[in-house]
Amino acid sequence: MLVTGRIFALGTLIAIWIFALVSMMMAKKKLPSFRKLAGLDALPEMVGRAAETNKSVHFTTGGGGSLTDPVLPQLIAAMAVLGHVSELCAKYGVKVVYTVFLAEMMPIATEVMRAAYIKEGKADAFNAESQVIYMSGDQFAYSSAVQGYAERERPAANIMIGPFYAESQLFAETFFRVGSIQLAGTARGYQIPFFAVVCDYLLIAEEIYAAGAYLSKDPAQVGSIRGQDLGKALALILMILGLLATVAGSPFIVNLLKM
Amino acid sequence: MLSIAAVIVMADYFLKIPGTSAVVTDLQNWGVILSAFALGFGAVNLFYVHTRHISRRTPGQWPYSIWLLVMLVLFTVVGVSLRYTGPEYQWLYNSTLFALSATIYSSTGFYIASGCYRALKARNSEAAVLMIVGLIVLLKNAPALAVAAPVLVTMENWLSAVPTTSAQRGIMMGASLGAMALGIRTMIGRETGFLGRLTEAER
Amino acid sequence: MSKQEKNIWEKLENLPREFIYGLLLIAFILPMINPIGLPLPITPEVKKWYDTIEALPSGAAIIIDQGYSGGGEPECGPFAVAVYHHIFKKGGLRVIGVATTQEGPLLWDKAMAEVNPEKYGRKYGVDYIMLGYFSGVETAMAALGKDLRALTSTDYKGASLDQYPIMQGIKGATTFDLLICYTTGGDQSEGWVRQWYTPYKTPYLCNVLALMMPTMLPYQKAGQIVSLTKGAQAGEMELLVKMPGRGIASADVMTMTGLLVAAFVVIGNIAYFAGRASKKKA
Repeated sequence: MLVTGRIFALGTLIAIWIFALVSMMMAKKKLPSFRKLAGLDALPEMVGRAAETNKSVHFTTGGGGSLTDPVLPQLIAAMAVLGHVSELCAKYGVKVVYTVFLAEMMPIATEVMRAAYIKEGKADAFNAESQVIYMSGDQFAYSSAVQGYAERERPAANIMIGPFYAESQLFAETFFRVGSIQLAGTARGYQIPFFAVVCDYLLIAEEIYAAGAYLSKDPAQVGSIRGQDLGKALALILMILGLLATVAGSPFIVNLLKM
Repeated sequence: MLSIAAVIVMADYFLKIPGTSAVVTDLQNWGVILSAFALGFGAVNLFYVHTRHISRRTPGQWPYSIWLLVMLVLFTVVGVSLRYTGPEYQWLYNSTLFALSATIYSSTGFYIASGCYRALKARNSEAAVLMIVGLIVLLKNAPALAVAAPVLVTMENWLSAVPTTSAQRGIMMGASLGAMALGIRTMIGRETGFLGRLTEAER
Repeated sequence: MSKQEKNIWEKLENLPREFIYGLLLIAFILPMINPIGLPLPITPEVKKWYDTIEALPSGAAIIIDQGYSGGGEPECGPFAVAVYHHIFKKGGLRVIGVATTQEGPLLWDKAMAEVNPEKYGRKYGVDYIMLGYFSGVETAMAALGKDLRALTSTDYKGASLDQYPIMQGIKGATTFDLLICYTTGGDQSEGWVRQWYTPYKTPYLCNVLALMMPTMLPYQKAGQIVSLTKGAQAGEMELLVKMPGRGIASADVMTMTGLLVAAFVVIGNIAYFAGRASKKKA
């Protein structure tokens, strides 16, 4: 019944599910605490700067991926941040513009932003046509369009969360040049260095997935982050045991992982 | 439905259950077809957005919108009538999209150079380490220098194989666990960030 | 320290972007116009890639993902072309091309035009074929691995696969001897590991952009990728297959621009420390 070579992986998957679900239930009683994520804490400051300078906030989820790709979790995570940013912008009367690469994201982003404005009681202030702008479905056409937007509009803040390809470097440098304060986050490992070098704030890999929980403080979401951390602890324990076993000449852990 | 489909696909990977393999194959084939339709949706959206720019004579935008729609129609007509594998389509692609994409992508080289010049400064100990490692990797990737100074190759190979790979493994594991946790939240309906945050009362 | 000297260090620390880009442009163009012929080493990864293909028995089936975009063609294209030269020169191998990017089939045509398989006596439908673009990245890879014929019944030109001798016996991942991927996207390079290597253990050769190497190295170190190379190593492959092309021509450019950027970094640091020292003195 079980496929050979995948038994341990199945066990690990089930264990992580259990960690996440139990943590979510326990979080309803007592909310676990987060370590500080400077990038997300800086969001009010970024929006505040935009309000002072009477400029806009730019948001992008990058020029890559689709809703059927494994990068979908990054897009979902980005929408959580977009919702929070839209609430802040609605509160301070700042225009937030989401430049869209994936056409399928337009209705999702429009709904997220509209809901945020309604929540702040500023439903009339939201204009989907000027705030959710579909640029292009081609990576470099999108990059050029966003760079052109940056040069013309010179937004006070640039927030980049999501799956990025080569356009990460183009965006980071261009928005740096026009003087925007920047927050970037991606789970694409090879784009993180480009953001790290240029951006003011950075979310690395899993921090973007935690963003929604961190901003909303929803017990279920925060609990699942605790569950994820328990999964990481399990991985660490296995690594240490594996290291010790290998040094001692025992293939036990390696054979266990190959089960 | 989402959760059921996800569980079926995952079950097929780990378990040998008669009948699921055919179901999963169909689900995967449907996924391929759906994503192909999403491409068409993008084109329709582009048409809609730019037609509005033209009809409203958006300042500084509408001439480019006309050009965009002309090219969109041209590519579509040539691709459908003369086949996208034909020499005409190939010529059109090479002259426009390919040339422009390669040009824009090449501009990242310039941005990286100015980024390196600005960022690789030994302002503190961590920045000094970053600068030294950056220089080693930069010089090793200059082929002639790799021949002239083989020690660069040894150093860069160690840097790639040990600290870089270890760090990447950590990032990948963290990202994978994060995606799993987000997947669990989505499947049980507790990830609401992408649905809009309104409660029934707020509506 | 005088104001003039301080200004020199400040100026050196803040060289205008236009100056840097101008010098870089010269470093790009001059070696292309006037090749210097600097030495080019053949690295173990490229040699392993070459040896893997060389070791394939006659009749072996290779699936190749033409997964790079037009933007990445200048980097991945020359390497792909050199490998196609190798495969077609060796002969006896079946090449089944797929594309996980929309531009893949067009770039395949571009590569084939550059390689000209007919000059090696290779025939479309007998020695090589392109099945076309499959959207969905990993979903498509999983579906291809399970049952390729269920996903498509035609090649990229719309002709039925049944008429092509190359497709005899080709069903899913288990019928292939080697998987090759040229890509500019991590979704493709990592996706093939998850959807083909992990379940089916298909030997996998991967060629990516240089910036993607750190992310892909864990897979190569874990043995999930036989050989991982970057597009910039095209010159080495061209040397091995004895077909000089764009890769060798770019090697001089890589050396010159690498040296130039390193020089900028050094100048920037000298200016930073000298400027700090002069401020302290003042």
